[in-house]
Amino acid sequence: MKILLVILSLIIAAACFSFITRNPDGYRQLYNSRLADFKSAQQQLLQQIRQADLSQPDQRDAIRSTIHQNRQNLKTLDFWLRYFEPVAYRKLNGPLPVEWETEVFEKFEPPYKRKGAGLTLAELYLDEPVVRNDSLQALIHESIDSLATFEADSITSQLGSFEHFFLANRMFLLNLSGIYTTGFECPDTTQIIPELRSMLHAVKTIYTRYNESFPQSPISQEYLLQYDKLLTFADQQPLAYSAFDHFGFIRDYVNPLFRLMQAQIRDHNIYSANYNDYALSNDCNSIFDKSLFISQNTKGIFSLVEDPAVLSEIKKAGKLLFYDPILSGNNKRSCASCHKPTEYFTDTTLATALRFDGNGNLPRNTPSLINSIFNHLSMLDGKHISLQGQARDVIQNPDEMNSTEQEVVKKVMSCAAYKTAFKKFVKYTPEEKTVSLSHIVSAITYYYADFSHYYSPFDDAMNNGRQIDPVAVRGFNLFMSKAQCATCHFVPHFNGVKPPYIGSEFEVLGTPADIQYKKLSEDKGRYGINPAEETLHAFRTGTVRNAAFTHPYMHNGVFRTLEELIDFYDGGGGAGRGLNVPNQTLASDSLKLSAQEKKELIAFMQSLTEKINFEMPPSGLPPSDNRLLNTRKVGGEY
Amino acid sequence: MQKTFLTILLSISCCLLFQQCFTEKKTAYDIPDHVTKINRQLLLEKCEKGKVLYKLHCSGCHGIFTKGKDGIPNFTKIQIDNYHTTALIGMDPKNHAVAKKMSSEQIDQVVTFLRLRKIN
Repeated sequence: MKILLVILSLIIAAACFSFITRNPDGYRQLYNSRLADFKSAQQQLLQQIRQADLSQPDQRDAIRSTIHQNRQNLKTLDFWLRYFEPVAYRKLNGPLPVEWETEVFEKFEPPYKRKGAGLTLAELYLDEPVVRNDSLQALIHESIDSLATFEADSITSQLGSFEHFFLANRMFLLNLSGIYTTGFECPDTTQIIPELRSMLHAVKTIYTRYNESFPQSPISQEYLLQYDKLLTFADQQPLAYSAFDHFGFIRDYVNPLFRLMQAQIRDHNIYSANYNDYALSNDCNSIFDKSLFISQNTKGIFSLVEDPAVLSEIKKAGKLLFYDPILSGNNKRSCASCHKPTEYFTDTTLATALRFDGNGNLPRNTPSLINSIFNHLSMLDGKHISLQGQARDVIQNPDEMNSTEQEVVKKVMSCAAYKTAFKKFVKYTPEEKTVSLSHIVSAITYYYADFSHYYSPFDDAMNNGRQIDPVAVRGFNLFMSKAQCATCHFVPHFNGVKPPYIGSEFEVLGTPADIQYKKLSEDKGRYGINPAEETLHAFRTGTVRNAAFTHPYMHNGVFRTLEELIDFYDGGGGAGRGLNVPNQTLASDSLKLSAQEKKELIAFMQSLTEKINFEMPPSGLPPSDNRLLNTRKVGGEY
Repeated sequence: MQKTFLTILLSISCCLLFQQCFTEKKTAYDIPDHVTKINRQLLLEKCEKGKVLYKLHCSGCHGIFTKGKDGIPNFTKIQIDNYHTTALIGMDPKNHAVAKKMSSEQIDQVVTFLRLRKIN
């Protein structure tokens, strides 16, 4: 009897104890309560707007201050919401009224139109000359409606398992490096660091609750200690985002956390099945590692070839073809004619390249091929989704290389060396019976993609803690804050691909046709591919990497130096210089950069020059059966 | 006499058997009538490429695909849609290592083959 009593009391004690240490639902409760809090705060804001007289400046200010509070409130949930449903998130805090999502998981779909709403747009709307009450209400109303998405079972059921937590946390870290400190969705720059701080503390609570609820797969102590250091750092930094040490924040805190997080993702064998972060690699240990995400398949038709010996032969053939004018209609022009391998695979001497017939110039500047593999869309207007498609287009474009599929294949196969090589390669693509243009362009893209795998002194500083010029560090901090560069040129590639790196962004800058700003460049840009009000004169955001050596700049090569380029941005783009650009996405007021600050920005851009091992061109080209083709020159003639 | 006759009979039946083994059943496709002739041809080419890829890389796990016999599972439209989506967003690399390596064109070929294949 006694024994029974002892056992019974032991069981009760154990049960009580387990309640104290384990709170299996605490994590979910935190999500639910924060979501409910935010919802009621938004409803109160809506109420406040309804009762306000918006012609009174003090009432507008009162609304603005509530918006600021609600943004801080939203930041306590950002960790989850942004990961769970980015499309619905845009209704809560979208940066733009309309965005065209140009690349999503379903590669063959036309662009989606995404409408934004919520706090950021409401705050911007308050600055309009005439503020209508119903329009302001609508922006908040939409955000309240979209919260239903985050209450749905399909979303909240994820909270019951640990996988989503690690993946959402990884995304959170990437956003810390590229989005949260730059003012990307925060029009009032005085709010950026206060919002960051409250978010960082809110995430700490998420970690604590998570570990209580998921003791079998906890976030490691090492990670939590490192996170505490990040909290201390952020709390001690100045509140002005221009004085914030963005460089130290990423190098010493965010990036080490990312490394620890990736290790845990691998330990737990977690693979994402989410549309948002499918491009991310689990094996990469630094945000500045070039394996961070995949955006292009450089092997093309040879995707399933694994044999390193065969791959190296494909690369060799690709190199010869890159320099071989046999791909052009008149056998005088090769890829290397415009993408000069000695000039970072672009042409630094011409604003825009010559037309095929030598009669005038092409409308657009030759882009560098280096780092082109880190875009989801190719060409300045995003016409192509694959590098192979881009190469095919150039070969067949009457103004560029002016050849045809049949002609190219016939001419290439007339050379014994190519014939032997491609006859061999075609065996590795059993679905293709004969050699086609796809084999040829895939060899070319596989060849030049290699040059995108080098690192710059800035990467070395971030990855390995190597010394870097302090002027460049100051330049980076400006880039991330006052100069407003990083709101479009995102970390780590400083191109238009932002976390989670699944799409390429387009911007309307108001690029002039001439350096005197007499008129706007007539090129319609993205509009030619996706005609919409917002895409007129929009161009894909290019990379800042190697910018010191890839002049001239802009789609038409109008600016020859980095100084001219920075002056363009400093002056508020085309609209800032009095050109009529109603849909410009760049702020038209001056950035007010000092001469010293401009120098610092340039020093940062120079620190992004990658240490590329350029190769010598091939000594000769494979001879052809057709004797007329044997006079062709390595690299072409013009 | 009888021996010769038997040998001939045997060899004929052997030939017939061999032929049976080596002629692969041609796959029939369901392409809607409104598709133009040129596009029909392009679709057929795509399907044939998809068939080769399927045979090599998918049939190991999904169905028997042997001489004269087409034992591909009859995927439903929803199943194929799901495959298409997951293939493009990244398959689970533990189970779909090959699919993950395929180019988007190759995935498209396989999926087109599965979609248009006539199910008997």
